[in-house]
Amino acid sequence: MVASEIVDALLARSRAGDGGFGSVPDAESEPESTALAAIALADDNAVDWLLRAQRADGSFGIDAGGVASDDTALTCLALPDGPALEHALDHVESTSGANAVGGPGAPPYGWSWTIGAHGWTEPTAWGVLALRQRRPTATSRIDDGLAALRARACVGGGWNYGTPESFDVEQPPFVQTTAIALLATMGIDDPLTASGHRMLHDRWRDEDAGFLSLATAAAALRVLADPDADEAAALVEQRASATPELGTIALAWASIALGEGLRALDAS
Amino acid sequence: MNADRHRISRRTFVRGVGAAAAVGAATAVGLKLRGSEPQPWDPAAFPPPDESHVAVLRASSYDGDLVGVVLDGLRAIGADVAGARVLLKPNLVEYDRGSAINTDPRLVHAAVTAMRSMGAASVAVGEAPGHRRDTRFVVEASGLADTLQDAKAEFVDLNISPAAPVPLHSRYTAMGALWLPTAITEADVVVSMPKMKTHHWAGITLSLKNCFGCLPGRVYGWPKNALHWQGIERSILDIAGAVRPSLAIVDGIVAMEGNGPIDGTPKDVGLVIIGDDPVAVDATTSHIMGFDPDEITYLKEAGRFLGTSDLSRIQVRGEDPDAVVTPFAPAPGFDGLGATAVGGQ
Repeated sequence: MVASEIVDALLARSRAGDGGFGSVPDAESEPESTALAAIALADDNAVDWLLRAQRADGSFGIDAGGVASDDTALTCLALPDGPALEHALDHVESTSGANAVGGPGAPPYGWSWTIGAHGWTEPTAWGVLALRQRRPTATSRIDDGLAALRARACVGGGWNYGTPESFDVEQPPFVQTTAIALLATMGIDDPLTASGHRMLHDRWRDEDAGFLSLATAAAALRVLADPDADEAAALVEQRASATPELGTIALAWASIALGEGLRALDAS
Repeated sequence: MNADRHRISRRTFVRGVGAAAAVGAATAVGLKLRGSEPQPWDPAAFPPPDESHVAVLRASSYDGDLVGVVLDGLRAIGADVAGARVLLKPNLVEYDRGSAINTDPRLVHAAVTAMRSMGAASVAVGEAPGHRRDTRFVVEASGLADTLQDAKAEFVDLNISPAAPVPLHSRYTAMGALWLPTAITEADVVVSMPKMKTHHWAGITLSLKNCFGCLPGRVYGWPKNALHWQGIERSILDIAGAVRPSLAIVDGIVAMEGNGPIDGTPKDVGLVIIGDDPVAVDATTSHIMGFDPDEITYLKEAGRFLGTSDLSRIQVRGEDPDAVVTPFAPAPGFDGLGATAVGGQ
């Protein structure tokens, strides 16, 4: 069994009886875990679960009382062409984060983790990537998302969760969020990508103690054809089975970094 | 408390405070309650409690006998964890080398050891960092992973562990229910272990605010911005009312003042504060920080239903809080907080 198959086998442990994937083995299926696993494994059963889990408004997520998570953009990258995808894309195109960095009522907005909240780095990256890959005619929303990513970029390049400055103090970038944001910006915003790429290239080893950070970095470095890509991939292979209690998201990223799933996320 | 963290008897109910007066006070400090609902909690879920106990203990460094300190504190407040499944919830919002952001792993290790020596059936440590999706990075980088390996204690990543919706019995937000990890809901004893810090949105962050880190980011995001949209103070009240920590152990050995909770200045205080009522622990700690607990909006409100914020009603063991007051520089936007502190010089 080659390394990527070992990772895929570890990931498959989170597959639930209903075809979806939970956040960890034996957990109930959830949209985000299922969507990323579906991309990683090209898993038709996971896609079927997603089709059954679509909300009436076309979105995907977890309803937690008065809070609803929004995993629709990521899920769009896992869905096949068809009405369900179009309904989901309609939702992505028509929703946005509350004004985040431009002041009250002012763009850019990006996309939020939960419906109605501010736009942040990772969900905005998924929004941009989903529209670039599946509905490239949605140029105004793509442009807004890119503007939001520019506004949320850290000084010197890269991204953290989305706060480049807090109370007059510059905040540092993180590897994991930078890697995902780069998947959204590469090929469409060269200066933003270049500064983020420099940060990722320089710092990915600093955070490789975190498997999710390592796996996302390996995926982005591979798409960027970075000279460190093979080294990062080798570390993913080495640590996947040696790191206890990895969640579905981390393992799915590892599978994507090593396998064919990366094609769905490569907009370069 | 013998394996029932939902038992309320440890808290002291301030019977003398009328609801209308309390609503007026809360409104005056900015927490506007729903006009039609002056008491936004279910009285059956928050019955009148017994006494609240807080122990204030000196601990000059992380290299001393912290197990002894924690044991002294737990015994002083009469804690009973025999046979209980204990979950320790430190504060690990993110990692920055050399900062005082996080609960120190050595205190967590000491708490693990102390709980076991008092007969806990199991002790695990759980956290859902609010800024970093990669929990393992924070746990490894902060040194907590090595510490827990040494202690042979399990770490639960609350960001990804199984979770389920739990109905709220308070209504400060419009959430109605919270998605809570089963590691929290199935623990007999949840111990909130915050860092003693100022906070630029809430004034201070202690054992109540630390409960934010029980909620999984995969539902609420990184950061958990949905909770901010509900109102941070309101969210603190609803979340703490749902998590209901049985015990609190505050890391005040090296604390953080000024622009907390991330970019503040480390401050040597040399204290560990332990109690069986998180509201009482936070009120006592706020007083030690030089801030009048009545000026901390959510803390005063928590004193109406969740515990005791009235310092005169808290049974204090160990050091006299008045004798160890160490005025903190307030967080930005809370400049007037220290000026009205009870006992704050």
